[in-house]
Amino acid sequence: MRALRWTIGAAFLVAVPWIVAAAVPGQQRYVLHVLIFTALYGALALSYDLVVGHVGSLSLAHPAFFGIGAYTAALLATEARWPFAAALPAGIAMAGLVALTMGVPMFRLTEHSFAMGTLGFALVTQIVATNWVDFTRGPLCVTGIPKPQLGSLRIATLPAFYWMGLAAVGLVGLLYHGLTTFRLGRAFHAVRDNEILASAASIHPLKYRMIAFVIGGAVAGGVGVLYVSYVGVLCPGELAVSLSVNLLVMLFLGGVGSLRGVLVGATAFTALPEILRMAPTWRMVIYGLLLLIIVIRAPDGLEGVIRRRSALWRRPSSSGV
Amino acid sequence: MALFEVRGLTKRFLGVTAIDAVDVSIEAGELVSLIGPNGSGKTTLFNCVTGYLAPDSGRVTLHGRDVTGVAAHRIARLGVGRTFQLVSVFPRLSALENLLTFLQQHQEESVLARLVRAPRVRRYEAAAVERAMMLLESVGLAARADAPAGSLSYGQRKLLAFAAALMPDPELVLLDEPAAAVNPTMINQMKEQIRALHRQGKTVLLVEHNMEVVMDISQRVIVLDHGQKIAEGSPEAVRRDPKVIEAYFGR
Amino acid sequence: MSDLVEQLVHGLTLGSLYAMVATGLALMFGVVRLVNFAHGEFYMLGGYAFWYAYGELGLPYPVAGLAAAAAMGVFGLAYERTVIRTILARTWHVQLIATLATSITLTNLAILVFGTQPKEVPTTLSSTIVDVGGVRMAWQRPLVLVAAVVIFAGLEWFVTRAKLGKAMRAMSQNREACAVVGVDVQQVALATFGLSAALAGAAAALVSPLFNIFPDVGALLTLKAFAAVIVGGFGYVKGAIAAAFLIGVAESLAAGYISYAYKDAIAFVVMVAVLLVRPQGLFGRRIGI
Repeated sequence: MRALRWTIGAAFLVAVPWIVAAAVPGQQRYVLHVLIFTALYGALALSYDLVVGHVGSLSLAHPAFFGIGAYTAALLATEARWPFAAALPAGIAMAGLVALTMGVPMFRLTEHSFAMGTLGFALVTQIVATNWVDFTRGPLCVTGIPKPQLGSLRIATLPAFYWMGLAAVGLVGLLYHGLTTFRLGRAFHAVRDNEILASAASIHPLKYRMIAFVIGGAVAGGVGVLYVSYVGVLCPGELAVSLSVNLLVMLFLGGVGSLRGVLVGATAFTALPEILRMAPTWRMVIYGLLLLIIVIRAPDGLEGVIRRRSALWRRPSSSGV
Repeated sequence: MALFEVRGLTKRFLGVTAIDAVDVSIEAGELVSLIGPNGSGKTTLFNCVTGYLAPDSGRVTLHGRDVTGVAAHRIARLGVGRTFQLVSVFPRLSALENLLTFLQQHQEESVLARLVRAPRVRRYEAAAVERAMMLLESVGLAARADAPAGSLSYGQRKLLAFAAALMPDPELVLLDEPAAAVNPTMINQMKEQIRALHRQGKTVLLVEHNMEVVMDISQRVIVLDHGQKIAEGSPEAVRRDPKVIEAYFGR
Repeated sequence: MSDLVEQLVHGLTLGSLYAMVATGLALMFGVVRLVNFAHGEFYMLGGYAFWYAYGELGLPYPVAGLAAAAAMGVFGLAYERTVIRTILARTWHVQLIATLATSITLTNLAILVFGTQPKEVPTTLSSTIVDVGGVRMAWQRPLVLVAAVVIFAGLEWFVTRAKLGKAMRAMSQNREACAVVGVDVQQVALATFGLSAALAGAAAALVSPLFNIFPDVGALLTLKAFAAVIVGGFGYVKGAIAAAFLIGVAESLAAGYISYAYKDAIAFVVMVAVLLVRPQGLFGRRIGI
C-alpha cells in the first residue's frame, strides 16, 4: 500500500536526528549540518527545475532570487527587527516580485540571449550586493541574523533546523508535484517541447514561462530566507554565479524534470563531497567535469539510467501470465 | 456575413512581397482549397491569419471580429484549429496526452480545485480522455494511445496532429498540406477524414499540392501565384483557367 | 577636458580588449553556430601563458606575446577537437551547459595551479605614465588600440583573400552549400576555434600589462563580449567590434563620471536596452561574418 510506504518513509525522515545520534554519536552535529544543507539545496534545486526542466528556459538568474530573498529577510530582521514569521513571506514576495519584473523583458530574449540576459542579471545583482555597502554592508556581510522564532517555538538547535529543512523540501516537493502534473504540467511541457504547437493549442507560452519563473524565483527567495536563518551570516559571495553551475549539476546528475531525480542529484551533490572531504576548489573542478560529461553522455542523469534499466525489466514475458 | 474573411492582406520579407493584397472570403461550412506553385505564399497566408506572423497591412476577421495581428494562442482559443506543414506533435508526451493538451484552455477551473482534485475536475478529465480516445479511434490510433508521440511513424504523427487540432472542436480548420509525403492509402484516409469534417458542418480551408485531392474534395479553389490571387472558383473552372495553367506550366 | 580624454583613452583600450574577445566569439557563432561560454577562459589562460613567457622565462615582449597567442591557438584547436566536436550537433542547451561546465573547470584549475593572487606583468610601456598634452596615460594603451586595428585589418584580409578565411565566411553564410562544393567543414571549424583562441591570447598579451591576470577574469569578460556580439547582431564580426568599442567607452565614462563600483553593470545595461528596443541588434540580422 502506497500510503503505508509514504508514512513509514516520512516517519523515518522525521526520526533522523535520533537515528543519527544513535548511529554516529560523535559526528551527529556534522551529519545534521550536511543534512540541513541537503534539504535546503533540494528545495532550491526543485524550484530551479521548474524553470529549466519543465518549461525549458535555461535561466541563470536563480542565484539572484536566492540572494534577494536572503537579503530582504536578513536586513528586515537585523535592521527593522521583523520576526521570522513576517520576514519569510517578505523575502518570498520580494524575490517573486523581482522575478515578475525581470521576467517580462527577459522572456523577450531568445535562447542564448535569454541565458546571457539572466546571467547578466545575476552578475549585476551580485555587483549591487557587493557595492551598495550602505544598504547591504557589502563584503562586510550582514551578521547576527536571529534564529527563527515562531511564537513560543524557537528554532535554534540542529534537529530543529533539520525539521525546518525537511518541512521546506517537503512543501516545495508537494508544490512541485502539483504544478508539474495534470493540466498545468501539460501546459508547461507543451511550451517546453514545441512552443509553436503549444500556441496552436491555445496555450500562451509567455504566461506559462512567467508562472514557472516567478514561482521558481519566489521559492528560491524563500529558501534564501531559511538559509540565512540557519547560517546567521549573509555575504555577497552567496549570490555567485557558481550557484547556477551547482544547481545545473544537481539537475543533470539526478535527472532534469523529475522530482526524484532532482532530489537524488541534490543529495549526491551535497552529501558526497562532504563524505569524500573534498576541498572547495577541487570540488568545482570535479563538478565542472562531471557536468560536462553528464550533459554530453547522459543528459537524463541518474533518473534516465534508472528508467532505462527498469524498462528493460518490465519487458513482457513470453509466458503471458 | 462570412465566417472568415481576409481583406487586402500584404506581407513582405526583406524586400520580397510574399503576399500581395490578397482577399479571401469563406462562408461557414465551406470546404475550400488554397493552391499555387511553390513559393506562392500559401503557408505565409496561413501563418498570417493564425497569428504566427504579423501582416504588414490588411485585415483578418473571424465572425466579423477583427483578429488581425492577434497572437496565435488567442486565435486558437477563438475556435481556429490548424496543422503544420512540418508535422508537429509533442514528442515526449503520449498520443493521448498530446490530445489532452489541446483541451487546455477550454475547461475553466481554479488552481486550488485542481490541486485537491475536486470531483468536477475529475469529471472534466474523464470527459477529456473520453473525447480524446474517440478521436484517436477515428484516426485509427487508439491502440497507440499511450505510446510516446515521438515513436510513431510519420504518417501516424500526421494523423495524430490532425486529431489533436480537432480536439477543442474548432469551427474553422486550417490544414497545411494534409496529403503531403504520405502513401496512397493514407491519402484516401485523409480525404475521408476531411469529408467527414465537412459533413459535421465544419469550415475547412486546406493548402494542398496534390491536385487529385484538391479536385476530388473541394467545393471551391483559390489559386495564388507570387503572392497574388489569380483565380477562384469551382475545381473544374480553375483547372481550365488559362492563368492557372500558365502559373504552373508556363515558365 | 584632459580628464575626459583620459577616460576616452581608457575606454578605447577597454573597447579594444572587448572587441578582440568578441570577434572570436562572433566568429565561432558565425561559422559553426555555437556560443562558447568558456571564451573568457581563453583570455585568462592566454594571460597566464603570457605571464609565463614574459615574466618567468623573460622572453622579449613581442616574442612573449606571439608565444601566448600561439599557445592559445593550439589550445583552441585541442578544445575544438575534444569538447566542441562532441556537442556541435546537439541542442543549444547542451552546448551552453557543456561550455559553461568547461568554463568552471578551467577557472578552478587555474586557481589550483596559479593561486588566487593576481599576477602582475608590467612592461616598460605599461608602467611608465607619460604626459601627452595634459593627458596622462601609459603608452601601452595606444599600443593596444593600434595592435587591435592591425589585427582587425589582418582579419579582414584573411576572410576576403585567404582560402581558409574565405571558406570561413562562406560557411557562415551557407553551411550546406559549402559541404556540397567540397569545403572541408570540419577543418574550417577547427581553424575557426584556433583563430578565435589565438585572438584572445593576443588580447591577453596586449592588455595584461595594464589589468593583471587572475583566474576569475574570464566570467565578466565573456558576458561583456557576448553583450557586444548580441548588440552588434549575432555573428556579424564588424558589428561586434563596433558594439564592443561602444561598450568599452560607455563603461569607462560610467566608471569615471557615475560610479566606479558599478561599471561592470554597464555592459549588461547596454545589452538589455538595445535588445528591448531593437531585438535584431544595432546593425540588423545579417548572414555571414
